[in-house]
Amino acid sequence: MSIKTKVKEKLNDKILYSNLKTFAENYKVSRANALSGLDFFKLRHDIYKSKDFTKDEILSLFEEFKSNVEKSGCTVLHAEDAASANKLIADICKKHSAEYIVKSKSMTSEEIKLNDYLEKQGLKPVETDLGEWILQIAGEHPSHMVMPAIHKTRQQVAKVFEKHTGEKIDPDDINKMVKIARKYLREFYFKAKVGITGANIAISSSGTIGIVTNEGNARLSSTVPPVHIVLVGYEKLVKNFSDAMKIIRLLPKSATGQNISTYVTWIKGSNPSFKSETGKKHTYYIFLDNGRLSFLDHPFLKDALKCIRCGSCANVCPAYEMVGGHVFGDIYIGAIGLILTSMLHDEKKAKEILSLCIGCKACSYNCPAGIDLQSIISDLNVYMGQKYSINPAKKFVYSAVLKNPSVFKSAMKVASIIQKPLLDETKENIGKLPILSDEHNFRKLPSVKEKTFSQMFKQNNFDKFNSSKKVFFYPGCAVEYFFPEMGTKMVQLLQKAGFQVDIPDTQVCCGLPAIHSGDGKSGKKTILKNLKYMGNPEEYEAFLVLCPSCGMAIKEDFKKYTLEYISEFKKSEKIANKVTSLADFLNKNNIRLKYDDNKKITYHTPCHQGRGLGFVPEDFLKETFGENFIPLKDSNVCCGFGGSFSVEYPGISSGILNKKIENIKDTKADILLTDCPGCVMQIDGGLKKQNINVKVAHLSEIFNELDIEKN
Amino acid sequence: MISIDTELNKFIEKSEAVQTKCTVLKKDDLKTILKDGNFDYIKLNTPFKTYSKDCEFTESGVSKSIVNADFAIAETGTLVINSENEQLRLATMVSESLSVVVYKSNIVSKLENIISFMNESTSRENAYIAFITGPSRTADIERVLTIGVHGPVELICYIIEDL
Ligand code: SF4
Ligand code: SF4
Repeated sequence: MSIKTKVKEKLNDKILYSNLKTFAENYKVSRANALSGLDFFKLRHDIYKSKDFTKDEILSLFEEFKSNVEKSGCTVLHAEDAASANKLIADICKKHSAEYIVKSKSMTSEEIKLNDYLEKQGLKPVETDLGEWILQIAGEHPSHMVMPAIHKTRQQVAKVFEKHTGEKIDPDDINKMVKIARKYLREFYFKAKVGITGANIAISSSGTIGIVTNEGNARLSSTVPPVHIVLVGYEKLVKNFSDAMKIIRLLPKSATGQNISTYVTWIKGSNPSFKSETGKKHTYYIFLDNGRLSFLDHPFLKDALKCIRCGSCANVCPAYEMVGGHVFGDIYIGAIGLILTSMLHDEKKAKEILSLCIGCKACSYNCPAGIDLQSIISDLNVYMGQKYSINPAKKFVYSAVLKNPSVFKSAMKVASIIQKPLLDETKENIGKLPILSDEHNFRKLPSVKEKTFSQMFKQNNFDKFNSSKKVFFYPGCAVEYFFPEMGTKMVQLLQKAGFQVDIPDTQVCCGLPAIHSGDGKSGKKTILKNLKYMGNPEEYEAFLVLCPSCGMAIKEDFKKYTLEYISEFKKSEKIANKVTSLADFLNKNNIRLKYDDNKKITYHTPCHQGRGLGFVPEDFLKETFGENFIPLKDSNVCCGFGGSFSVEYPGISSGILNKKIENIKDTKADILLTDCPGCVMQIDGGLKKQNINVKVAHLSEIFNELDIEKN
Repeated sequence: MISIDTELNKFIEKSEAVQTKCTVLKKDDLKTILKDGNFDYIKLNTPFKTYSKDCEFTESGVSKSIVNADFAIAETGTLVINSENEQLRLATMVSESLSVVVYKSNIVSKLENIISFMNESTSRENAYIAFITGPSRTADIERVLTIGVHGPVELICYIIEDL
């Protein structure tokens, strides 16, 4: 099945939609509660540091761990790949004449497809985590790393249980279902000869593993049977208890919003076991490599091995929320799933699912291990683009058009003429594009304006305004061609405040669209060209952007793509430090605005505003609009635009947009403000299409109508 | 002492948020509970050692057990139980109702305060230490919180104020 077909199928799954939507809403609230009063960014930085190891360092932690547990007679084994791990485990089971094997939840065992292998060997593994057990008897795979059966309803679970146990089950009585699982699974702990668990943490200095669960099944699995096999990836090693506690503090908060999981079990070596003929547990540790060790030395993939498997990067992902983990990931799920699939599993499959990332950075912002997942995904896209070649039509756009200002400009000129018969009565929007299917027709698209921003800048004599206080403004493609007014309004406002505004001699795309689609080469050329036209950073107080995605590209990608060009790199670094959005600039310069109207205002935070430029203007807006400012629920959740994403996956894009529109309607605001032309395009288009009477504007457009307060 | 009471209150608040039932009492009150409580399994340190009671643990489980916690962590409402003893370990897993006794003086503020205990307990060849925070739970069906999936359905914590 092609990825687009799978996406469509999931988009039509009403149960999945409501399960994931409800969960995402609740999760955000409980996570925020659990983290209140803590410095999340400091704590996650500590985790990041404590897991920052090279291959050699991990190997020496491994040796230390090994010698610690061998003292009590345990066996520690290295498994190079999935096949050898499976074989080692099956051999141990056979050696101890096991028939039944109880397992507690382990993503690592999913990674190596352990159950399939054991069953082929005639062994009977029984999953004891409730969610995993439901899926095992239903013959399905997890759709989430922490909540494997999140895609199922109680009614579906009741059916699965009825079929398996023969008992009649009330399809609404979840309590009863849990009791059935309790009763049914309890006997297997006592029947099984072997218990298999994973480990969330392996502490080298003491040889102790830590396992986190809520149900208590890992405790039973590691206690009752006489044999305990621990399957653990090398990346779970940490140095000491102090580092381990940091993970214990953040993992449950990020996973489910719990302060701590019900059970954290610490096991060292071989403990007493009444079922063992020696009175002592037979304990085996299988350390899985499966590619991990070499990736520890990889320049941008090594960070993925800091993951503590909390699942947060799925929980906060708007695209995951639309399609679920059976599409958004493979074995591992969510943003980390896209990455680990590339590293540990099928690269072709990975290339496909990587395209599902809209680039909103919610994952990076929330990851408790401090992994910049979105940036890794973007690097992987570039890698895949090089290796498997990107769609030739896109490639043409990025390499021949976007990086070439004069060609781009003429193409836009042509577009502004040929769109004419398609414009609606306002001329601001295109009525309907005949070449696009109905699926794409979920919003009205803006028209290409006859005059570019740069032309209007000259025409209005904006370049004649001189002042000692100078800023540089980078308009970006959206302002240049689609929304020149956003730019002119901002220039007027700043000039009123006494600032001279300069712009690039020639407008070049920021390079982000090419990079995001995997065309790194064109991205780089575009960036180098751009730097030529950017003003000298020493002369300006700030480099202003009205599009935070351009801003983020300038801040992050300009440096990343100029590493081999020393003077361009230096210039990028200096500019990066000065990139500022409008409200941030006004705020820092103590410029306050007066609002006399009584229209209600709300605000959508663009993804790359808060999570890219690191400034959210809500406080500034509260100060400016007072009582008339109404906060928007999930303001910082993506609007579904994502540039070409909305063309590639219109169903996901419009699904995300509809949630945004619902929240906007709930505010009853007259005006929705935002900071990004892309978001304006998406949200305004959607509201207009649904005939909802809320005006959408960029901050610059409304700010320019207000008076500057004299102080 | 103000600081101990702050920790105590915090511990109780965090414990009750996860359905642990907390009672603060004197050691003599606990002795009465031990006498009348119909426990299947009792494993406690002095001054309650004389009440010890053993039983057999099978898949049918037992109804009531009571054991000591070495420490309690206020930040999370967690009971820290050295469970190397296999009988005790089973008791904390297959009892329908689990009671845990902790001394007020052993309530610490944060996870970090437990590190030296962890280091010491794992300096031997083997160790099994449990952090328990509330009764066993799951939310695997429709994210509905349900208590008592594999472990105890009820968790009671007795905090002895004069120890
Ligand atoms: S990558 Fe980060 S957010 Fe995602 S599962 Fe791992 S630790 Fe959690
Ligand atoms: S950047 Fe956004 S869309 Fe992409 S994986 Fe992360 S959360 Fe999901």
